[in-house]
Amino acid sequence: MSEALPAIIIILLAATLMLLALRRLRSGVRYSLRPLAGYTVIGEQIGRAVESGSQLHVTLGRAPLPGVNGPTSVAALEVLAHLARESGESGISPRVTVGEATLLPAAQGEVYRAQSAGEVTAEFATDDVQFLAASEFPMAYAAGVTNSLHHDEIAGNVAVGRFGVEVAIIAEAARRKEFSQIIGTDDPTAMALATLYTDNVLWGEELFTAAAYLEGRMEQLASVRAQDILRWLVAGGILLFTLLRIGRIF
Amino acid sequence: MTLLKRGIPVAIAVIVGLATLLGLLVFPPLSDLILGWAALLATAALLLGILNLLNVHLRRVTGGNLYSLILVLSMLGVFGLAITDALGITTGGVDFIFAYVQAPLEAALASLLAFFLLFAGVRLLQQQRTVWSILFLLTAVLVLLSQSPLPAVLSDILAPIHSFISNVLVLAGMRGLLLGIALGTITLSLRLLAGIERPYSS
Repeated sequence: MSEALPAIIIILLAATLMLLALRRLRSGVRYSLRPLAGYTVIGEQIGRAVESGSQLHVTLGRAPLPGVNGPTSVAALEVLAHLARESGESGISPRVTVGEATLLPAAQGEVYRAQSAGEVTAEFATDDVQFLAASEFPMAYAAGVTNSLHHDEIAGNVAVGRFGVEVAIIAEAARRKEFSQIIGTDDPTAMALATLYTDNVLWGEELFTAAAYLEGRMEQLASVRAQDILRWLVAGGILLFTLLRIGRIF
Repeated sequence: MTLLKRGIPVAIAVIVGLATLLGLLVFPPLSDLILGWAALLATAALLLGILNLLNVHLRRVTGGNLYSLILVLSMLGVFGLAITDALGITTGGVDFIFAYVQAPLEAALASLLAFFLLFAGVRLLQQQRTVWSILFLLTAVLVLLSQSPLPAVLSDILAPIHSFISNVLVLAGMRGLLLGIALGTITLSLRLLAGIERPYSS
């Protein structure tokens, strides 16, 4: 129990901050989100895809939903849900590839729901969501994504989720086809590699705010506010302990 | 009916999520049990994934795609080999395929990464001659030089620079990113536990 105490305190603190932020939002206080290039470009990409009648390619990485990096995949699915909904209104669904088996039914669900809700109903095609390789084989996954980018009618590339160094192969394939691309991941190495290919990189925690940027419901905005306050608390704590250490008080 | 259709999955997800969290914090056997169920579902998902892969490529084969034909034949070949291994007709057939086909192919693709990154770095410098890209170039050159066989005088100068870049600048940056990711994970997990985000339901 004592080992779990710090985790319990952090969870309770985060939950309290979210509730307080939600209360303020409901009382009429407005929170503005700083613009993030990745989310701004998503709208442009959807527009281009609809105009050209092509599909957007969305790849969701290879983090298992039940695993430690599951929340990264949930955030990636939120991006997919938005893209599928927006492009589905014009009867065009995104082309989705996954590098982890548990993401397949989740992604199929998102695409199917968006297609069912769209004004122009599109028929759900098996090819719309593809499983490429198990998460243990990142290079096989990257090769599969590259194949999809080269051979399908694609208007742009969105790579969101958990990636490793294989993100460079995916980004290089998209660059060769001169696609506009957005890359969002929680892996520091993959983030560094992604910056070599595009300015539209969603850096770590920015990926987890996808729902707030793309949907903007009060609960989601409150969660981003709580995340911001927690970040300041952590930064302040680090600074305080550093000063105490320098002063030999702690 | 709609309430039932929407409410039941949310209720199940919230209850199971809270039970797993409580289990992880205070009663590990409970979370172990639920994670065991999740592992079982993941295995079923893998089977679905393989069927999806086969289905997609069988359709492409009918459209005349040669690569899809090779993939389907390889898939069936490995599957056949796994059965003969299990029946004792062959020994270590699947291991052989993994060791001598899968692993070398993955390694070959991984080795291309160095070239991709080199060209991407050069392209970045050609397109954006900013302070940051010059700093990137200087850092890359310093790190590469410090790991090259150089005369002792130069190595003595470069070693502490390499150590400072790796242990202070890179480590601090990575820790900052990881802290942000951890906070993002906590808030997103709370949204899932509260039923605010529902990737499993409309």
